Amino acid sequence: MTAIALAVAELKRVMRDRTSLFFMIVFPILVILLVGVTTASSKTIRVGLVPGQSAILATQLVQDLAADPAMTTRQFATRAEGVGALRRGEVEAVVVIPMTLDADLRSGRAVQVPVLVSGSFDTSQAVVTAVASVVARNGAAVQAATFATTLSGRDFAENVAAARSLQRQTPVVPVRTEVVNRKSDFLPTGYSRSAPTMLVLFVFLNALAGGAAMIQTRKFGIFSRALAAPIRARDLILGEALCYFALALAQALLIVVVGAVMFGVSWGDPLAAAALVGMWALVGTGAGMVSGTIFRTPEQASAIGPAVGIAFAMLGGCMWPLEVVPSSVRLAGHATPHAWAVDAWATLLSRGGGLADIAGYLAILAAYAVVLLAIASLRLRRSLVTP
Amino acid sequence: MSAVLAIAVKDLRQRLRDRSAIVLGFVAPLAVAWLISMAFGSTGSFHANVAVVDLDRGPVAAGFTTFVKSPDLAKLLTVTSAATEADARAMVNKGDLGAAFVIPQGFSDAVTSGNGRPITILTSVDSSIAGQVAQSLAESYTAQIEAVQLSVKTAVASGAPAASVEKLAAEAATARIPEQTVTQASGAKALSAINYYAPAMAIFFSFFAIGFGARGFFLERSGGTLDRLAAAPIGPGTILLGKSLATFVYGMASLGTVALFTSLVFGAYWGPPLAVAALIVALALTLVGLTALVITAARTERQSEGFASILTFGLVLLGGNFVFVGEAPQLVRTLALFTPNGWALRALTDFSGGADWTAGVMPLMAILAFALGTGAVAFTLRRRVVNL
Repeated sequence: MTAIALAVAELKRVMRDRTSLFFMIVFPILVILLVGVTTASSKTIRVGLVPGQSAILATQLVQDLAADPAMTTRQFATRAEGVGALRRGEVEAVVVIPMTLDADLRSGRAVQVPVLVSGSFDTSQAVVTAVASVVARNGAAVQAATFATTLSGRDFAENVAAARSLQRQTPVVPVRTEVVNRKSDFLPTGYSRSAPTMLVLFVFLNALAGGAAMIQTRKFGIFSRALAAPIRARDLILGEALCYFALALAQALLIVVVGAVMFGVSWGDPLAAAALVGMWALVGTGAGMVSGTIFRTPEQASAIGPAVGIAFAMLGGCMWPLEVVPSSVRLAGHATPHAWAVDAWATLLSRGGGLADIAGYLAILAAYAVVLLAIASLRLRRSLVTP
Repeated sequence: MSAVLAIAVKDLRQRLRDRSAIVLGFVAPLAVAWLISMAFGSTGSFHANVAVVDLDRGPVAAGFTTFVKSPDLAKLLTVTSAATEADARAMVNKGDLGAAFVIPQGFSDAVTSGNGRPITILTSVDSSIAGQVAQSLAESYTAQIEAVQLSVKTAVASGAPAASVEKLAAEAATARIPEQTVTQASGAKALSAINYYAPAMAIFFSFFAIGFGARGFFLERSGGTLDRLAAAPIGPGTILLGKSLATFVYGMASLGTVALFTSLVFGAYWGPPLAVAALIVALALTLVGLTALVITAARTERQSEGFASILTFGLVLLGGNFVFVGEAPQLVRTLALFTPNGWALRALTDFSGGADWTAGVMPLMAILAFALGTGAVAFTLRRRVVNL
């Protein structure tokens, strides 16, 4: 009971700090929004188009490229503008439609459509392949129209329209894609990735930064005064732990609710998700209390804490998927609890897993929580009983 | 002048005594840059393992296998053969293959007779790019076949006699698709993770100087040392200049050290040295402006910490220090240009992409304008800072 009263008092103190509230409530939502919208837009190949003339064949080629589902296209007035965007990584290639495209094709001359790439050609082969297939299909219709025009009295433009219509109606050699599985090993892109990874990041990071409150309590002599009252040291430690746990849990639940309501994130099996959230809040509690006992000043905790939190998040796959990094880095990443938590979320969100499927991850996270809480409790106890 | 220097040196000494200033200004950005260089240092170009399941054994299918195994595609694909569709399906499902081409039985005959049977691309939910590339390759190959038959169909539809289809097909087969892509170097270099995130993290961590500076000011005020300084025969301008100089030097040292170290050790390219130096000076001036703004806007030490934190994280979030802003939608890219760090990253990204120093002129102007603007607002609000 004493521990609960102490936890409530501590919570009230923390909740009065508007800066903490900003970093607990507003900031995570903004980050989820930004990371979600950015990763969602990186699903397709980003291609820049410099349209050239507004003649019919050039326009059709631009339309075909824009309509391809594998690409997201963006038009530029000049080649230089396109290269600027290429330089900044806003597009992966720039297709420059030649100014003489219509005239050349109408007169039967072959046309080469430049695809500008950055770096070496090898690194851009995937995007070039996608563009080449669209250009080839567009060219097939032009070839057909040219052929038909030489044999009939019908106008070239009419034959182009007829060839494109026939091409759409009955593809001669259809190509169809079949996805052999539905369950992914990775978190999806967009908000379904940003929300769980940012939950992992912010619960841990804010707990580390929150260590400042414990240091302040110690500095103000609140612990010493409390011990002068008939309060046992273990009640004080439990009270602190309960406060950190409540904050971590509130932070996690806020992200779960906001993720579901604002960003349409489906968090998977409710029981398993609740267990994972609870376990991660315990890990956060341990981390926060360790921060509160290791750092000497509140400033150190609130400044170095976020730096450590960001580094762990990077290593643990919250900032980018660990699948894209070398296996040694992936292995090193699993030294952090973050990587196990992200793996568990991937099992829930992408593979439709349940409590049994993430039991192993929960056990590992429990081990982290126990170790962190034990270290923090011992250090705090020592600081309480040492005069 | 000596008073300004004395105040600046004292502030710097005090700041460096606090380990968090060292950690955030120097250790953290270098550690993060090291992590990024480890994570993405050996990331190469896209490559996929694919298999061809040739159930047709006809000439068109053989042509397709030759096409995907051509030397031109060797760096993009490693092509193997799979005996059955089930084998390929299992390998794709397991992740051993990014995609598989299944050419159905009777494919060549069907193509010749104009009744195409579909090539099926098997892919996995985790290898969507490999699937897209495989689909594009298959369509590129079939486009030539399609062109011949489409030519005949269009000719017939436009009035050519239907009876002469075979003759038309023979004629059409002599033509080639008149449009082809040609890959050209744009002069731009590919943007690497280290070239983007080394400056992004250096700028992010340097922004913590705002909090240090503002907090130091309020601590001095509450400790009475500011009053004592004001009692000395030096004006308030000297005190402010000394404190600004400390923030400026700290910002310069932090950004400069990280720039130098990441360039020499991790191979990051920041840009032409003089242009980068100018950007670092402008960013350090921005830190001074923002610190002054926080000092004038806040009333207590705690408030100054809060304002500084919100300002720091707000700016780095908007400016693109956390996510690669180039991949973000247009709105996010535009919002980034409302921040000095967004402009700095734009210039440094341009440099990394091969642009010359002139690409830094506009960003430099924008950052200096931001520094001036924040400084001017702080100057306007200076009366809020009592006892100076």
